[in-house]
Amino acid sequence: MIEAFFEGLLLVLQWKAFAFMLLGILLGFWVGLLPGLGGTTTLALMLPFIYAMQPIEGFAFLLGMHAVVATTGDITSVLFGVPGEGTTAATILDGHAMAKQGEAGRALGAVLTSSLVGAIVGAVALALAVPVVRPLVLSFGSPELFMIAIVGLAFIASLSAEGARGMLRGFLAGGLGLLVATVGQDPQAGVARFTFDSLYLWGGLDLVPVLVGIFAIPEIIDLAVRGTSIAGELPAGRLSKGAFEGVKDTFRHFWLTIRCSLIGTFIGIMPGIGGAVSQWLAYGHAAQSARTPEERKRFGQGDVRGVLGPGAANNSKEGGALIPTVAFGVPGSSSMAILLGGFFLMGLVPGPDMLTKHLTVTFSMVWTIVLANVITVAACFLFLNHLARLTSVRGQLLIPVILVLIFVGSYTSNSHYGDILVMFVFGAVGYLMVIGGWPRAPFVLGLVLGKIAENYLYISVARYEAAWLTRPIVLVLLALAVGVVLYPLIQSRRARSRKAQHA
Amino acid sequence: MHNRASLILGVAIMICSGWAVYAASGWPWKAALFPMVIGIPVFCMAAAEVAWVLLGKNPAARAMDFQISSDLPEGLVIRRTLLAAAWMLGFFAVIVLVGFPVAVPLFVFLYLRLQGREGWLFSAIFSAIVWALFYAIFKWLLNLPFPAGWLF
Repeated sequence: MIEAFFEGLLLVLQWKAFAFMLLGILLGFWVGLLPGLGGTTTLALMLPFIYAMQPIEGFAFLLGMHAVVATTGDITSVLFGVPGEGTTAATILDGHAMAKQGEAGRALGAVLTSSLVGAIVGAVALALAVPVVRPLVLSFGSPELFMIAIVGLAFIASLSAEGARGMLRGFLAGGLGLLVATVGQDPQAGVARFTFDSLYLWGGLDLVPVLVGIFAIPEIIDLAVRGTSIAGELPAGRLSKGAFEGVKDTFRHFWLTIRCSLIGTFIGIMPGIGGAVSQWLAYGHAAQSARTPEERKRFGQGDVRGVLGPGAANNSKEGGALIPTVAFGVPGSSSMAILLGGFFLMGLVPGPDMLTKHLTVTFSMVWTIVLANVITVAACFLFLNHLARLTSVRGQLLIPVILVLIFVGSYTSNSHYGDILVMFVFGAVGYLMVIGGWPRAPFVLGLVLGKIAENYLYISVARYEAAWLTRPIVLVLLALAVGVVLYPLIQSRRARSRKAQHA
Repeated sequence: MHNRASLILGVAIMICSGWAVYAASGWPWKAALFPMVIGIPVFCMAAAEVAWVLLGKNPAARAMDFQISSDLPEGLVIRRTLLAAAWMLGFFAVIVLVGFPVAVPLFVFLYLRLQGREGWLFSAIFSAIVWALFYAIFKWLLNLPFPAGWLF
């Protein structure tokens, strides 16, 4: 096994495979930076090009590209408050807030380093977990997967605002997200739900225009209202110094980074939950790690832990998602489903053979994820000064460029003007949420989880009726959801009584 | 502004979720299950939020999210917000009328000239660069389809 491990590295380092990996990284770098252009779409576009490649070269190209998309997507999220990828939206909350405070360099340093740590954790998990993960995946049926969705939502809704009213708004936003996810033809009975007789809405709402609208529009309006640069009137300073501070932050909160990486890996392993979920769970966990309600108040205002969590989870999920894909041929996400197509194109059948006959190919994937991220993070650090300096460019110059990017990015989701209208509608919703002090994170998580949760709920009810609620893992997850909701309330009650005692 | 936005959102969600539950009541159970399970509690929570706003009980409920700048006079904020929204809607209108390839440089140029008060030459060069990047990345490299506008 150890021999195959190092053989995998040598295979990736062969000049042809390495060159294809670099080409993939270059493509992934730009795809990640550009809002709206998804890594999954690009993976699908690049699939035909691997016909003529050997398996190692093909995977070096595809995985090299896919592994860096989330890393560079974080850069756009931090600098402009526009999600570079659907999977990097959570980084906006604290990353962009830091950029506005003149700490873009630190935020970038933190997000890049945590991304690297996350990628390594995900890759190590892939290397170690393949033989042992089978019973875990098989013990989770539809009821358990539905409950994971509920725990995730409870997690972020209860932590994303303070007090009982904040929690009400969190759950309301999450519920609204779930409700919005029901737009389109339902998968069970084929009923067109809330489509207003529009063919565009039959397929449901695409995540990209909704995310771009809800996050980017309020930020752009705020930038236009302030009439300054993103970092305001703050002096640019030595931004590279800030970047190093971000690196140190990762090691200062190293266990948090590792825990969030493990959350990302776990969500990646679970088939069908999707990468967009892991970032929010990691963000929720980072917020939960705050010891006092006062400390938690800093989240959303530029707390570096809110950058480290999603940054790590975004990248670790790739290694996790590869585990069921490689070991059982069950893709963990849509991008993995496309990658599965790549397996067949190159004459490989996922399953036990990948752990015996083609073990070196499996390990070459592990090495590709690690090397691609190391190269990308190193390249990003070289340009970090220039990237961070973008936050001191006048808003009047940035706004038209960002608007062009978000309009084109939204439009390319379905190549339909409806995408832009959806962006406007959710831009207005996002703006009202920000003005009203409502958290946007639960809404997005609800939207992402909606279709998955509905599907699992339907299967659970149809298969087990009410008995699904009595399954042991379901009960444990239910208790966890209740605990997650009660924890902040107990925490703030304790803080109040402690304060009263001191007074 | 904080309460007004909450009230608008709360009432809008009440209307949407109420309508969603009403519409779902006419569907087969397979299609109605999820909208019902979600719609009813969402309606109740939205009603609670509206009642909270109307009764004036407003303990601070800061979200773990970014806060809009509040150091400017409210009148100026509203005026600039409406202006920004108008630019965005205007850009969309131009895209529909003349298509992306023409709308992009036209919008950038007009924004820089009228809103940014930049000089003619700078605006023209900046617009040309943005157009070149747009064309190189989205048209030439990614070959994305951009339809012609209604006019040409």
